[in-house]
Amino acid sequence: MRPLQPLALTVSAPPHRHCGVTVRGRMGNILLAMAPAVVMAVASFGVSGFRVMAMAVAAAILTEAVCDKFMDRETQIHDLHAAVVGLSFAFLLPASAPWWLAAIGSAISIVLGKMVFGGLGGSPFCAPLIGWAVCRLSWPLFMDLDASMLNVELTYPLAQLKNFGLGFVSVTDLGQLFMGRQLGGLGAVQIAGVLIGGLYLILRKHISWIIPVGVIAGALITAALFNAADPNVYAPATFHVLTGSMMFGAFFLATDGPSSPNRRIPMLLFGLLIGVMIIIIRVYGVYPDGTPFAILLASLFTPVFERIRPKPFGVR
Amino acid sequence: MSKLWKEFSKGLWKELPPFKLVLGLCPVLAVTNTANNGLGMGAAVIFVLTLSNLLVSLVRKAIPAKVRIACFIVIAASLVVAVELLMQAFSYPLYQQLGIFVPLIVVNCIILGRAEAFASKNPPLLSIADGLGMGIGFTMSLTFLGSLREILGQGTWFGMHVTWDGFEPFGFMVQAPGAFVSLGVLLALMNFMENVRRKRRGLKAVEGPSHDCGSCGACGSSSKC
Repeated sequence: MRPLQPLALTVSAPPHRHCGVTVRGRMGNILLAMAPAVVMAVASFGVSGFRVMAMAVAAAILTEAVCDKFMDRETQIHDLHAAVVGLSFAFLLPASAPWWLAAIGSAISIVLGKMVFGGLGGSPFCAPLIGWAVCRLSWPLFMDLDASMLNVELTYPLAQLKNFGLGFVSVTDLGQLFMGRQLGGLGAVQIAGVLIGGLYLILRKHISWIIPVGVIAGALITAALFNAADPNVYAPATFHVLTGSMMFGAFFLATDGPSSPNRRIPMLLFGLLIGVMIIIIRVYGVYPDGTPFAILLASLFTPVFERIRPKPFGVR
Repeated sequence: MSKLWKEFSKGLWKELPPFKLVLGLCPVLAVTNTANNGLGMGAAVIFVLTLSNLLVSLVRKAIPAKVRIACFIVIAASLVVAVELLMQAFSYPLYQQLGIFVPLIVVNCIILGRAEAFASKNPPLLSIADGLGMGIGFTMSLTFLGSLREILGQGTWFGMHVTWDGFEPFGFMVQAPGAFVSLGVLLALMNFMENVRRKRRGLKAVEGPSHDCGSCGACGSSSKC
């Protein structure tokens, strides 16, 4: 008679199944989605654009490695998040940015925007925007997209709108704006490339469609209201959506995981707040393009939006 | 004598007011945009702190316990008015730079903290040593933070040009957010150094405050996290 075999059971802690999405895979996909804009930026600004992006990415990865060493923890640079932060930061810079600006700003993005909060997933802000804000306050001359790029024939439509009025904007043709024939953050103004990348991310479900739609809808509605009030002073809504870093912010910065809410209604409100704030800053603020500040501001509201949540089952 | 030295020297490093006790942050954040301002503010605080410690210590037995805070404030306020008038007379530009923060020394936590925690329980000589030590520690911290912010943010130190040509000043540092960031980084560095020191002695590193989930409730789940 055979001895009774006990059933072979594996005891382990949940989760027992994994869908296969890794941080590295997700970040790789985001980098892939940024590729069209990178190609367009290099085509538009040449080597100087490539130089800024390479410097920022390298500085971000190096800074994260040093921080990990300093914090006595295993390095996580292979998850590519540092590369995404560096590239996103470079996308907001003018192509003429000096090398130290790209390096310092990128390092600040990683240190103050990510590592001081405990690494990936801990930051209440979108990391590249922290670096952008610090640099914008510190070196306004080098960060000024208009003044630092006088030697190219492209123009910065938002600065023209802000400083001279709607009648002096030299490129209002939406098709040209769409193809990136404008000045701005070197990658962020490559609207077509950014849009392709954003749609790719949405189709692969790496980001939700709600936040970008919220941002664009909020901006369109607010800009349309202003435009309806006085079409001679306020630019049309479509112009606002296709200029500056609005598209890049909507698809890549506002959808940053830890700093944005994660339910449908909060996401929509978050997006709408960003869109409305962008137009308000563009109309009333001192900065020509309000996208980074609008997103930083909305990130502060994330915990408030997160309070909108379904009632747990059985709770009165 | 050794006791006197102990009370004096604890303010210099072991209980360095802004960076170890994290007291008196209002002037630390507000006036340290240049090294000169930090030094001037520190000097005013040394004066007020030493004299208020002395006076509080002298009258410590006459003050009823119930009104002691008000008495301490009155003493500190009189001294601050004296400092303010002296500054107006002898260093008017500095007075204009520091502005509202000179009168605000009255409500500085260090003054009240030392009066309450030390001077009201100890004899005058020890209180003077304590006030002087704390004041000098405070001045050193303010001057250090001011130097850091001035050198990075303006490229100068006490108004002298100390950086190389082509240095682009890091303007963020002299503005308000730079104060918070640099103070936070300094505090982190202090803790890091403390942990390195403990590790060398073979002690366990000090972690942050152990987080009690039950008392916080920020995430909404009151029972478990």
